[in-house]
Amino acid sequence: MRVFGATLVLAMLVSACSAGSSVSVPADPDAISIGFAAEPANLDFTRTDGAAIPQALLYNVYEGLVKLDADGRVVPLLAREWTVSEDRRTYDFQLRPDVTFSNGQPFTAQDVKFSVERVKTAWTISLKSKMDVVDRVDVVGPLHARVVLKRPSNNWLFDMTTRVGAMFSPSGVADLANTPVGTGPYTFATRKRGDSIVLRANPSYWGRRPAYTTVYLKYYKDPTALNNALLSNGIDVISSITTPDSIGQFEADTRFTVLQGTTNAEVTLSFNNAKAPLNDKRVRQALTYAIDRKAVMATVSAGRGTQIGSMVPPTDPWYEDLSGVHPHDPARAKALLAEAGLRNISLRLRVANLPYAVSAAQVVASQLADVGVNVSIEPLDFPAVWLKQVFTDHDFDMSIVQHVEARDIVTFGNPKYYWGYDSPKVRELLTQADVGTPEKQVQAMKEIARTIADDAAADWLFLFPNVIAAKTKVTGLSRNQVSESFDLTGLGRR
Amino acid sequence: MTTAAMKRRTPTLTVGAILVGLVVLLAVMSFLWTPHDPTRVDAAVRLLGPTGDYLFGTDKFGRDLVSQIMVGARTTLYVGVVAVGVAAVIGTPLGILAAMGPRWLGEFVMRVNDLVLAFPALLLAIMFGAVFGASTLTAMIAIGIATVPSFARIARSGTLQVMSTEYVLAARAAGRSRFAIAHRHVLPNVAGLLIVQSSVSFAIAVLAEAALSFLGFGTRPPTPSWGRMLQESQELLAVQPRLAIVPGIAIAIAVLGFNLLGDGLRDRLDPRLAGRR
Repeated sequence: MRVFGATLVLAMLVSACSAGSSVSVPADPDAISIGFAAEPANLDFTRTDGAAIPQALLYNVYEGLVKLDADGRVVPLLAREWTVSEDRRTYDFQLRPDVTFSNGQPFTAQDVKFSVERVKTAWTISLKSKMDVVDRVDVVGPLHARVVLKRPSNNWLFDMTTRVGAMFSPSGVADLANTPVGTGPYTFATRKRGDSIVLRANPSYWGRRPAYTTVYLKYYKDPTALNNALLSNGIDVISSITTPDSIGQFEADTRFTVLQGTTNAEVTLSFNNAKAPLNDKRVRQALTYAIDRKAVMATVSAGRGTQIGSMVPPTDPWYEDLSGVHPHDPARAKALLAEAGLRNISLRLRVANLPYAVSAAQVVASQLADVGVNVSIEPLDFPAVWLKQVFTDHDFDMSIVQHVEARDIVTFGNPKYYWGYDSPKVRELLTQADVGTPEKQVQAMKEIARTIADDAAADWLFLFPNVIAAKTKVTGLSRNQVSESFDLTGLGRR
Repeated sequence: MTTAAMKRRTPTLTVGAILVGLVVLLAVMSFLWTPHDPTRVDAAVRLLGPTGDYLFGTDKFGRDLVSQIMVGARTTLYVGVVAVGVAAVIGTPLGILAAMGPRWLGEFVMRVNDLVLAFPALLLAIMFGAVFGASTLTAMIAIGIATVPSFARIARSGTLQVMSTEYVLAARAAGRSRFAIAHRHVLPNVAGLLIVQSSVSFAIAVLAEAALSFLGFGTRPPTPSWGRMLQESQELLAVQPRLAIVPGIAIAIAVLGFNLLGDGLRDRLDPRLAGRR
C-alpha cells in the first residue's frame, strides 16, 4: 500500500509534465503545427456532439454556401451570391463553378439539396433542429439552388455558416467518422488518436491555395503541457490559452506574438428562475448587485475578458455594453433581500467540475457571503453528472458554466431550458427578430438583451477571452473566435 | 555497540512525533487564530509574493497561503482520523472473528477481504464521489473501506499467534467464553500492531485525500485542502511555483511524519521485535 501511495505521487508529477502530443515538428517551412486543448472524439460532426470536430474541419475541410468572417459577418463561400425573395422565405443561391470535392466529384446544386435534406434525415446531434425551418430545396439549374423556408428566418442563414451548413457529396458520406470528404482548401490526411490530426493542402482547390501545405493539429489535455509545447518549439501556435495567468510569459518573450480577442463563451452564473427563492426577481437582482464581476474576472481570468452584462458578445450585430445595469452595490443587494423578506438564505451552487467554474464559484461564494447569502459549492463531474442533474433535471439553485454556442441568447425563449426563464415578451421578440428584416432583427435582439439583463435572468460574469500565442513568423491569425471553425485559410508567414 | 543500543538511538519515533505534532499544532491553532480569513477572496492582493503580512504570499484568489495551510491541516487530520477509524472499527473485529470463529467463516471473511484489497482505494473513492457526490465525507469513508483489509489481516494474524499461546490454551481449558478470551487476551495483545498499522494507514489516507482533492473528488471548495491547493496551483506552476511548493511540503511533512511515527512505534510495540530490545 505504501508503494502504491508513492507511485501515485510520482504519477501525478509525471503526468503533469508529459500529458499530450508527442509528435515532433518537422523543420518543413511549408508545415505548421497548432496546439489545441480538446480533441475530437471522431471526425463526424453529423452524429457526434462536441466543438472540437467543427473546430478542426469546418472551413478547412468542409465548406458551406456561406461562412462567418472574423468580424461576425455572413459572407459568400460556395455560393457566389444569393437573393432573398420579397416574403423572405425563398433564397436563391448562385453557386461557384469549378468546385470539386476531394474525391473528384463536382459540386452542384444537387449536393446542396442532398446536404440540407440530409441534416433532417441522417444527422443525430441536437443542432439538426436548426434545419427544421427548411420546407424544401429545389435544384433550379446545375449551379442554382433554391431553398424555401416554412417561414422567414434570419437565424437560418446564420446557421448555414455553422456545421449544419456544411456541404457533402452523396459519394463521400460512407465513413464520415474516419474519412471526411469536403470541398475545402485542405483534405484530411491522417489521425493519431490522443495525439494529432494531419491536414494537407487540397491540390484541386477552387480558391486561393493555402500558405501552408501541411497542418498538424496537435492535442494537449493539460494546459501547462500545451504552453510548454510552444515554449519548447513543439508547436507554432496555441489556438486558445485557457489559463490566463500564464499568458504573461509569452507576452514577455520576443519570439511570440499574443493576440487577444473575444469568443462567444459567456461565463454565466445561471439562476434557477423557476424555483424559490430565485423565482423572485428581487432576489436575482440582489445577487447580481452583490457580485463584483470585475473581481471575478480579475481572479479567474487574470483580468482578461470582456464585461458584457447580458448574453451578447461584442461580435454580434446587436451588442450593447450592458455591464452597468446592475453595478456592484452590496448595500443595495442587502436592501433588496430584506425587501424580499429573506434573511440568511442558503443556496446550492452546483458547478461543472472544471477549473474556471470552480474558481469562479469560490469568488461568487465569498462575495455573496458578504451580503449574508450562504453558498455551498458542489462541483459536479462534467459533462455527465452536470448534464444529468443540473441541465436535464434542473436540480440546482445556481450554476456556473461557459455558454459557448453562437447567438445562444435564444435559449431565453425556451421556458424548458435549464434556467427556467419564462417571459412571453422575450419569446414574442425572438419571433419578431427571426422573421423580420435585418434592421428589425437588430432592434428586437437589443431589446431582448436589455430585458433579460433587467430581469437578472442570469449573471453574466464575463466573456471569456480568446488569447492566441504564436511564433512571430505566423501571420493571418484572427483575433476573435466567432465561428465554430479554427479557420486556417487566412494563415500566412513572414 | 549492540543492536539494541542502536535501536534505541534511532530517532525515527522522535522525528515522526515532531512532524505529526507540527501538523496537529497547526490544526489546533487554526481553530483559535489564523493570520487571515482563509476563504475570503480579494482580487486586490492576488498572487503576492511572501511579505511580512503574508508569510508565504497569496494565491490567485488573494487568499493567504499560511491561513489555508493551517485550516487545511484540519481537513487532513479529519480525513485521517475518520478513514482510519472506519478501517479499524470494521477491520479489527472481522480479523479476530476470522481467526477465532469456525474455519469456514474465517475463510469466507478473508476471501471477501482479498476481494476488497484487489480494488484500488482511489478508484473506489472516485466511484463513491461520482455516485454520492464529491465531498470530504465520501472520500474518507471510501478510503476507510479500502483500508479495512489491512486491519483485518493484521488482526487475524495477531490473533492466531495469541491463540496458540499457553495462557490462552489455559483460559480455554478453564472454560472461558470466546468473547471473554477475545476481550481479555487477544485485544490487548494485538493493540500494539493495530496502533502501528493506524499510523501507516493514516499516512496513506492523507495522501489519498490530497490526490482526490487534486482530482476534484475530495474536499469541496472553498474549505481549504492541501490537495486542492496543489490543483489550483497547477496552471501557475511555470509562473508561481511557490503555490505548489508550499502545500507540497505540507503534504510531504504529514505523510513522512505518520510513516516515521508508524515505524518508530513498530520498533517499540511489535512483539516480534520485543525479544531483541
